[in-house]
Amino acid sequence: MLNTKQIRMASGPVRPAAAYTEEFMETLHRIRQDHPQLSSLGYFLDTAEQWFGWASEARPEVVVLGPDLPEELILAAGAVPYWLLGGSLFSTSWSDDLVPRDTDPVSRSILGYIHRPGGPDFSESLFLIPLSCDSMRKIAYQLKQEGKKLFLVDIPPEQNRRESILQWQKQMFRMMEAVADHTNTRVTRRRLIDARLTVSRARKLLSVFLDLARGREDLLTFAARQLVRTSYYYTEDPEEWSDHLEILCQELKSHTARLYPRFRRPGILLAGSPVLFPNYKIPFLLQEIGLDIRECVDPAALKQYGTNTGRILQGGRDRMIRAIAAERYRYNASSSFVSNDAMYRYIIGSLMHGDIEGVVYHVLKGQIEYDFELERLESLFSDYGIPVFRLETDYQYQDVEQLRIRMEAFAEMLEQNRYQEVKQAQ
Amino acid sequence: MQTEEQKSKTAPGREPQTKYLREQQKKQRQQQRFIKKETQTAARYLGRLEQLSGAPAAMQPFVEVLRRIYVEMQGVETDRPTIGTYCVMVPQELIYAAGAQPVKLCSGNYTAFSIGDDLTPRDACPLVKAVAGFQHTGLMPVYRDCSMMVVPITCDCKKKIAGMLRDSVELITLHVPASREDADMEAYLRQLYELMERLEAATGSPISSGSLAEGFQMVGRAQAEFSEFIRLRKSSPALLRGTHSMAMMNASAYMSADRWADAMHGVNLELKERIRTGEKISSRSLPRILLTGSPIVFPNIKIPLLIEEMGGLVSADETCMGERGMWDPAVITDHSFNGMLRALANRALRPCPCPTFADNTQRIYRLKQMIRDNEIQGVIYHVLRGCLVYDFEYRQIEEELGKLEIPVIRLESDYNEEDVEQLRIRIEAFIELIKLRQEPVRRTGIRESF
Repeated sequence: MLNTKQIRMASGPVRPAAAYTEEFMETLHRIRQDHPQLSSLGYFLDTAEQWFGWASEARPEVVVLGPDLPEELILAAGAVPYWLLGGSLFSTSWSDDLVPRDTDPVSRSILGYIHRPGGPDFSESLFLIPLSCDSMRKIAYQLKQEGKKLFLVDIPPEQNRRESILQWQKQMFRMMEAVADHTNTRVTRRRLIDARLTVSRARKLLSVFLDLARGREDLLTFAARQLVRTSYYYTEDPEEWSDHLEILCQELKSHTARLYPRFRRPGILLAGSPVLFPNYKIPFLLQEIGLDIRECVDPAALKQYGTNTGRILQGGRDRMIRAIAAERYRYNASSSFVSNDAMYRYIIGSLMHGDIEGVVYHVLKGQIEYDFELERLESLFSDYGIPVFRLETDYQYQDVEQLRIRMEAFAEMLEQNRYQEVKQAQ
Repeated sequence: MQTEEQKSKTAPGREPQTKYLREQQKKQRQQQRFIKKETQTAARYLGRLEQLSGAPAAMQPFVEVLRRIYVEMQGVETDRPTIGTYCVMVPQELIYAAGAQPVKLCSGNYTAFSIGDDLTPRDACPLVKAVAGFQHTGLMPVYRDCSMMVVPITCDCKKKIAGMLRDSVELITLHVPASREDADMEAYLRQLYELMERLEAATGSPISSGSLAEGFQMVGRAQAEFSEFIRLRKSSPALLRGTHSMAMMNASAYMSADRWADAMHGVNLELKERIRTGEKISSRSLPRILLTGSPIVFPNIKIPLLIEEMGGLVSADETCMGERGMWDPAVITDHSFNGMLRALANRALRPCPCPTFADNTQRIYRLKQMIRDNEIQGVIYHVLRGCLVYDFEYRQIEEELGKLEIPVIRLESDYNEEDVEQLRIRIEAFIELIKLRQEPVRRTGIRESF
């Protein structure tokens, strides 16, 4: 089993490089094992493996930290973004000496990845850093001291203020200029349209895919869904990625038509801190316990809805840039805001489906903003009569068994709720 | 057997009423406990502050203000409406210009912290927990009386507490940019215009060039007195203790700038008199320590108190509730209204060594300058539990100070007294270390001949 092996890796003195490889390979192996019937899933697994495994050969031109920036603007400026999202326990070991003890694991992992011995060559890279939290500000400072070329993007914290959108749009213009200078590319209207069409297609397909997979844990586990979703950030060719996703959707469709869903397990909504590859201990745990993750609401959850091409691609180049920037700002569900209204509204929309029986609120240690948001969400869920389970963890694997016991109790409670509803109905 | 009273309590129809009464009584008891504990803690720290030798007699007005707010639990002594602020980046000049008085609401209260602990996430910083606690109880007049609150978004905790406070008070946030470039300055300036409109609406007084100039004068005078105070504070041997100085700076949160300037003028006169008479706080050469890091807010003054009770001297502090709060005057180069606001935006962003900025190299320059000017022998770096931005900067500051051979120690603390003994041991050891590095003092002259 993955967990026992990783517990061994985490607790014993191991070489970080070997443990790092083993971590993502184990995760990929398990997903592969769980889905022998889905042949087209292979591309997404290979994409992730390639990104993590062949990193030493990479010489990224433009590096983006976190998913907050609109990639179409970067693509139009002549660069395929090299996303650093975090997610690996073992990459944190390369940043341990650089950050305080209480830093969140996502930031640690990102910084560690940049400092990975034998990792990609970042010497010529331009780093685009959206300052979504305190750690990101300070990571930016650290990278600046190391002589890295940076472009910082402030995220105005009042999402509903007009001034915030204007400020964000201005920054997006400057960011595009910085990327275009770096890549020696002229940003034209045509390039922007192409980039937007590419990205929109990928996002539309992702929405179709997630709709198909919703409630079909028997066909596609949440871990696999998450991997497909995240692999978008690991591909160098978004068009190719979309082609493969289209094939996967067709395969999934044929399976869903043939196979009726098995006994429906309690459906839950997973919200809060992002669940990032390769640290899939939470998805695997929920899967083992028998909970079906119907929806996952993380900072990038709303990004997939930025698909409009008609309205956005009207007018001149600058108008289009403004429209894309404004859309990304409005569709940002990260906790960078004073009140995360986008996430709140999205969750309300998810509850409307009527198949959410419980909520698991995931808080990574150090990501305090998510913890702050829980109070407001708890009152929302209580209005809907949905129980909430706050799950606090980090990237270590030692707490898996403790979490399992707590999660099992929660799952049993959800089962009991179902019987009670049936009884009441009778 | 049930008594008549018990029977009447459980009688049908009367139950909701008695339950309500019971809850009211319980709430009242809780409030009384809160007031008792809060005032006791503040009184205890004021007592220790007064017991510490070398306090200038002229600092009494500052002590009285702290007593009024925390022990007597009264509001700020003013006939103007009060505007709550949460950071030095809120320009006080603008608030005075709107006919209001700024009140800094950052709190160091242990009792409020323990209440806020239940309202906020476990890892939130204690300062924010204390603010949440005070706001929740609604018992502190300084919080209750505010017509509006201004919260600059300087860290994740402030960002989220603004969202929480917004439900119960009139509030405006200021987005503090992470860089200090021209575009950031312009964006901040636009926010100041917005703040101005909100202040006018809250106070009902329009802000004019004249009233803004008056605001500048009020704050400018306080800064001039403060500047003189800092000059005198640098004296060696020391004329006063750092804990007293920090208490005076803390009192500025609840005093109008002109009152504070008057009181500070008195302190400056007394310090000058001490120079003239040769009076100093100790006959021995005390290890001169610079205190920097997370804010030290009354009554959480345990760290400067411990340093000075253990035989050290807080010669200077680089904290936002201390010297940084008044350090930088606004420089007006253009006397138009826009020019004055621009000066405020400039002052808030450009010189500020707050770790909210991504690139904060100037904090290192500032620390080096303070070390040189104040003949500092050791640095105590204070980190409030959960205050990540300050913690991030420690590593680099330690490295830089290492190059100057200045010993530095990181002290992590919380808003309670459980860690006092541990802190005491570490501070004592640090002071001993500095003493060992000091040149031995010759008590007798060198014998030249037998």
